Amino acid sequence: MTKYDAIFIGANNSNLIAALRLAKNGYKVLMLEKNHIPGGCSTSFIRGRFEFDASLQELYEYGSTEEPGLLYKLFQSLDLNDQIRFADIPNAFHVYVSSNHENYKLPFGLRNFIDKMEEYVSDSRESLEKFFQLGLECRNALKYIGKHKANTRYEVLLSDYPHFMKIANLSVSTVLNAINMPRKAQEILAANWSYFGSPIDTLSFVQFSSTFYSYIARGTKIPRKTSFEISLVLAENIVDNGGYIKYLSTVEEILFENDKVSGVKLSNGDIYEAPYIICGVSPNEVYGKMIPSKYIPKNALKLTNSRVLGGRGFAIYLGLNQSAKEIGLNDYSYIITNTLDSRKEYEKMGTTNVEHFRVSVINNANIAASPKNTCIMQFSTFFTNDCFMKLANPSNYYELKEQIANRLITLFEDMTGIIIKPFIEEIEISSPETFARYTNQPEGTIYGFKATGLDNLLPRMINEENEQFIDNLKFNSGFGTYLSSYATTYLTGNELAMNILASREGVDANE
Amino acid sequence: MQMNKIELKGLNNDKNFQNMGKEREKIIHKSSSKPIVTEYKANALAKKLHPEEQYVKVEKIIKENDDVKTFVLVPDKSENTNSLAYFQAGQYITIIVEIDGGIYRRPYTLSCSPKHALNHEYMITIKRVRGGIISNYFLDEVQEGFSFKISAPLGNFCYSTIRDCKHVLALASGRGIIPFLSMAEAIYDGNLKCNLTILYKAKTKDDLLFREKLDDIICKMENVNVVYVLSEEDDNEFLSGDIDEDLIRQYSTEETSYFVSGSPDFYSHINEVLKNLDIPKKFVRHDLFKGEIELKSNEEYLLTVISDEREYSLKCHGKETLLQAIEKSGIDIKSGCHVGVCGLCRSKLISGKVKTIDENLRAIDKSYNYIHPCITYPESDVILKLPN
Repeated sequence: MTKYDAIFIGANNSNLIAALRLAKNGYKVLMLEKNHIPGGCSTSFIRGRFEFDASLQELYEYGSTEEPGLLYKLFQSLDLNDQIRFADIPNAFHVYVSSNHENYKLPFGLRNFIDKMEEYVSDSRESLEKFFQLGLECRNALKYIGKHKANTRYEVLLSDYPHFMKIANLSVSTVLNAINMPRKAQEILAANWSYFGSPIDTLSFVQFSSTFYSYIARGTKIPRKTSFEISLVLAENIVDNGGYIKYLSTVEEILFENDKVSGVKLSNGDIYEAPYIICGVSPNEVYGKMIPSKYIPKNALKLTNSRVLGGRGFAIYLGLNQSAKEIGLNDYSYIITNTLDSRKEYEKMGTTNVEHFRVSVINNANIAASPKNTCIMQFSTFFTNDCFMKLANPSNYYELKEQIANRLITLFEDMTGIIIKPFIEEIEISSPETFARYTNQPEGTIYGFKATGLDNLLPRMINEENEQFIDNLKFNSGFGTYLSSYATTYLTGNELAMNILASREGVDANE
Repeated sequence: MQMNKIELKGLNNDKNFQNMGKEREKIIHKSSSKPIVTEYKANALAKKLHPEEQYVKVEKIIKENDDVKTFVLVPDKSENTNSLAYFQAGQYITIIVEIDGGIYRRPYTLSCSPKHALNHEYMITIKRVRGGIISNYFLDEVQEGFSFKISAPLGNFCYSTIRDCKHVLALASGRGIIPFLSMAEAIYDGNLKCNLTILYKAKTKDDLLFREKLDDIICKMENVNVVYVLSEEDDNEFLSGDIDEDLIRQYSTEETSYFVSGSPDFYSHINEVLKNLDIPKKFVRHDLFKGEIELKSNEEYLLTVISDEREYSLKCHGKETLLQAIEKSGIDIKSGCHVGVCGLCRSKLISGKVKTIDENLRAIDKSYNYIHPCITYPESDVILKLPN
């Protein structure tokens, strides 16, 4: 029986980063992954002559050597930056509104963004400047709180982040109203609300503005060889640092000894031991299936029962047999929406008649993403509830996916006036069933728990330590404190590993 | 950016932050402490459509001709398989067979329409391959009542209403008719909506498989047509010769998708013909097939396999794939298509020189020496690390 220092359940983003951090610090780590490759959703697949990214459309928080973002710094600290090649996304987004046939195209760069918005909505400049200033303040406040968590000192927050304190628990729309942003400007600004999975009357202003600040200021990137490039590079580095990754291995049970976690049992009966068990799977799965009920604290059940699952993914991957330019696809990031009213669109996502989705033309950032004279388009949206599953059964499943996909592709054509159907050489469609099968996440959610009200970013951060119910059993995924985006799952994993290292060394992880 | 004081109209409460944690605790406190419900609809459907494994029993064996048999498979309830996963016409299952200490997996395209799965039944049709371990085992040894473990349905050789033309011209030789039988039956069942013309080539009349079933569907369905072509027999009822440019042109409509299935020779022939007709890639789809590869080595090499922290020393001949050597040894390696498409056997080449015709590796996999053992041949001693 080999003993490990930490066992990771699932080779998802957060776990890959955490395992690498621990392995680099001499920990003996074991990673157990049910699929035959690492990455979870951060993966790619091949159809014909195309390699499709399963989920990543743009990576926030990376930045560049000159203006490093949080992710750049993280990868730098793990010696990864020269192992992964990135391509720049050229523009922020181009939103098409089908109800009134308006469209708005926004650039990266704070100054350019504000100028363009002023062109679209006169007298919006001042409020936009305030918005970005608040975004920056929120980023700094989050940094402070992230460092101190439950020991956060209110006097410091009040003196250093006075605006933040007034808006900490408020929604995007409440704060944008309070800074007198014209309604139209609010709607255009927040057109990419679906990236966050919540409409702007619910979405936390702190989360939105802090991310949006970095998004516009630093731009975004994609790995040149899909998100699987990051996943595989991380996995290879773990192995190079003495870690062991075992694929095609499903953990069935988390084991306890003297009331403490002690190891895991696989579906084939194999047992592995370690004092730390780090779960890339959802708390629902862990508390619902993997731990004997006598070891589950009442509050862990209460917390899990109080939460709501986030959006269930729906994605279309197209390989087209003409270049983006020939087809007339000039932008990287399209947002197609019936209206700019996020609440209205969000409600429609509770049915399969969703009319709000995002489309990325990968080759417009990375010309080599597919063979010469071809290009790749990636559509994505989500359902807020079980609407897809209410309609789906085994015998209509494939037809149902195609119907929805066909409607979205037609909508894209109608809105942009760009014809794509005759060029479709390869197509694949992922539904909530696909995500459920591949990642095993409940209902195929790709947003973890829904971020809303008191389950938003800040309340999760403040109570994080109180909600550590079982010693040395950690949750490390998009279901965690920092929510489900690519960037935050990597950062989550690093923080978790730093905390484990700190508890060994008795020093503050963030120093 | 300058830091100015910003007026936040109507927002004067800076106690919000302090109360957040306590408010959150209150909500959690009020919530239920009953066990977590883990029945999720999407996950349940995933288990039905893509079970990790299925157990089946051979219910009936139908002799199609001297060298071809169809096996009717039903759920093996003694192994807790109570229903079979639905599939799309053109998909295959992988069947697992243990013979003489080896563990073998082979893909077989389902030779019935998807509706059969709803009625708890699959069919696979196996043709004897000279020297083939598995095909000979099935034709000579397997009896009604035998049990097997099989995979969920796999594969992408399926019709798409979005990608493909309304008219499909299926080009088949020999056993290549199987996916098109499934498609024709699916059209008859009302589960597939396209117009299907099948050009079906065999050596002689007696080599034509499923004629009765196909002729029956042609009689009933206006949008299914089959044209038989005999390459080594003259018969007034049939066309003779080959499937050539003229024949394909004759049965093509203005918008036609071409689906090709048959022997390796047939693929290279049809590819040539379609190229001459200037048919873009978009309109041509292939069933699983292994590209041609020229193998020079006649030597036997040492193949070291690392799996589950153990090392195994095997022999692998230069004309044998790494996967074949591993299967023979009894190491249980997962695999699906055996032509480098499904990716299930993806393994890391630690050292050694190999020959492969792989076109389906992810870009980053190439940089880190991952290969598909199912279409990779040794050219020196090799060390290979399996996924588990």
